Amino acid sequence: MITNEKKTVAFKTLGCRLNQYETDALVTDFSNAGYELVDYNASPDVVIVNTCTVTNQSDTKSRSVISQTVRKAKNAVVVVTGCMANNFKEKLERQDNITFVVENSRKSSILTLVDSHFSGEIVHPDQLPQDVFRYEPVRKSLHTRSAIKIQDGCDNFCTFCIIPMVRGLATSRPVADVLESVRKTVENGFKELVITGVNIGRYEDGAVKFENLLTMILELPGDFRVRISSLEPDGFGDDFVKLFAHPKLMPHLHLCLQSGSDKTLLRMRRMYDVAQFRKTVKQFRAIYSDFNFTTDIIVGFPGETEEEFQQTLDAVNEFNFSHIHTFKYSVRKGTRAERLENHLSEKVKNERSLLVRNLSVENKMNYFKSLIGQKQDVLIEKITQGTASGYGQHYAPIRFKITNGQRNTIQTVRLTELIGDDENCYLAGELVL
Amino acid sequence: MMSLMKPDMQMDESFYKIEDIRQLTGNAFSIKLPKARFAFKAGQHISLGIVGGNQSREYSIYSGENDPNLEVLIKEVQNGYFTPQLRRLKVGRVLEIHGPFGKFGMEPELAAHGKFVFIASGTGIAPFRSIIRTYPTIDYTIIHGVRYSEEAYDRDQYDSKRYKLCTSRENKGDYYGRLTGYLKSCTFAPETHFDLCGNSDMIFDALEILKDKGFDRDQIHCEVYF
Repeated sequence: MITNEKKTVAFKTLGCRLNQYETDALVTDFSNAGYELVDYNASPDVVIVNTCTVTNQSDTKSRSVISQTVRKAKNAVVVVTGCMANNFKEKLERQDNITFVVENSRKSSILTLVDSHFSGEIVHPDQLPQDVFRYEPVRKSLHTRSAIKIQDGCDNFCTFCIIPMVRGLATSRPVADVLESVRKTVENGFKELVITGVNIGRYEDGAVKFENLLTMILELPGDFRVRISSLEPDGFGDDFVKLFAHPKLMPHLHLCLQSGSDKTLLRMRRMYDVAQFRKTVKQFRAIYSDFNFTTDIIVGFPGETEEEFQQTLDAVNEFNFSHIHTFKYSVRKGTRAERLENHLSEKVKNERSLLVRNLSVENKMNYFKSLIGQKQDVLIEKITQGTASGYGQHYAPIRFKITNGQRNTIQTVRLTELIGDDENCYLAGELVL
Repeated sequence: MMSLMKPDMQMDESFYKIEDIRQLTGNAFSIKLPKARFAFKAGQHISLGIVGGNQSREYSIYSGENDPNLEVLIKEVQNGYFTPQLRRLKVGRVLEIHGPFGKFGMEPELAAHGKFVFIASGTGIAPFRSIIRTYPTIDYTIIHGVRYSEEAYDRDQYDSKRYKLCTSRENKGDYYGRLTGYLKSCTFAPETHFDLCGNSDMIFDALEILKDKGFDRDQIHCEVYF
């Protein structure tokens, strides 16, 4: 029975940018339908937990959030979705305190499911339509920038990766849908768009490949700028670098290296080598000397020798990544790497992880210092007690003093100093009037 | 023949009934299925699962693009989980096939004009058989590394002048030793394209040898098997 009382909804999101986008799109859906978005701790009527399963740690975090949710929100409708819902569907369905378990392919219809529940209709999640692109353009969001989903799934079958099993095989959103989504998202007031998917370099809709689509997006009218979320090193051609001359495209790429050892890369079934990665980095920095590269590194992959790990450290130093998502290898059931020999101990993985993290901080500080003196256009995400914070073009975090400033506006700032000497360091600057 | 599918099981586009099993050696065999219901490029792979099972594995397509059957080449892994189950399958059982996948596929224009060296270890020869059956006039040499000569799967289907067998455990091939040893002794035309398929150690060593010979990485394509 639907009552006139406004229902409340809260969201918890774990994992990647794609998950964050899908949560934002659900926030828009629920908000359009009249639900009030509330804090997770405010006894909401509905809690949606969008989970991740990419590593053991993600599983642990997802499980912990689910437990916390069912404990706190005893009377709420609890919906568990995301990659863990695919990977452990039956197990989660057996938990009485979870109302619905919704697979990724049906995530976009969660509002229908919840509405049906409140109106007394019995709908099983498996009856919902399967469509990974059915999301409305983001209007109300938990973030300042909005993602644009262009692609889902992957069929690279990297030996460590469970994504093809939980996100399905590679599929691309039709060009017209993508462009319409960009137009509407810009109309909704977003100034920065992040092109997102599981393996966006694999985008293909007829003759339109990733670079063609990106060109079309950049040519759309409007006051917005574009970032690219993580990209595989073999996901683009030689002309890709030229696109970054476009003023709307930001000079930053999260290019996933995973290892600096060619032998390890082959065991991971990554179809590029370090020399090819080097060629790309050089090509970019020859044109844009301060181009920002960040990356993912997996340490302690089965069989990774000291020498192979040292090659990774050398690569990290050489390519000067300003940030590294360091993952300790963890077994994902059903992957090829599960069956590889010579799995390393947690102790070795911890030691190697620490070394990469330390190097990452050092490189981050050096890269940020190299930007001091530059002007950056900062998209303000937050203003607290007269201090605005946000990210510049190169995706460096920047803070500066401001009076009468507003969130979601872009301000030009001259960078003056680096604050902090750890992972959370940032650049301070002065507003250029 | 009596159907081995459960009565309530719906036939799906991705379900293929086994038509034939060819035993090639004591532990290697090929499974013949109906013609692929999807278009593929010779060299690409598929994922294969047993209907009713909960796992799948990727296999290169062993048949040509225009062959009347879809075929895969399988070697049973001792103490493995999946291949012993495949080994026990009989004609009539149903497999679930998805694909095709992968960038390791031959382009028709290149096949018509290029010069190729295919380097394979063990069952890594599968994509090359697919390519050669699809493009019978292709200019190729196969260097096939195995332990014993009996692992020269379907050797009689290749031009004997173009097929070089390297056997590491017995002196019954064209070269006695690992294929990388043979590769070191070879000279190739500068415009040669190299396609490598097999285990990661072989591919790593072969890549190093080819790079030492002065070939550009862009001339070399790899497909890693596990």
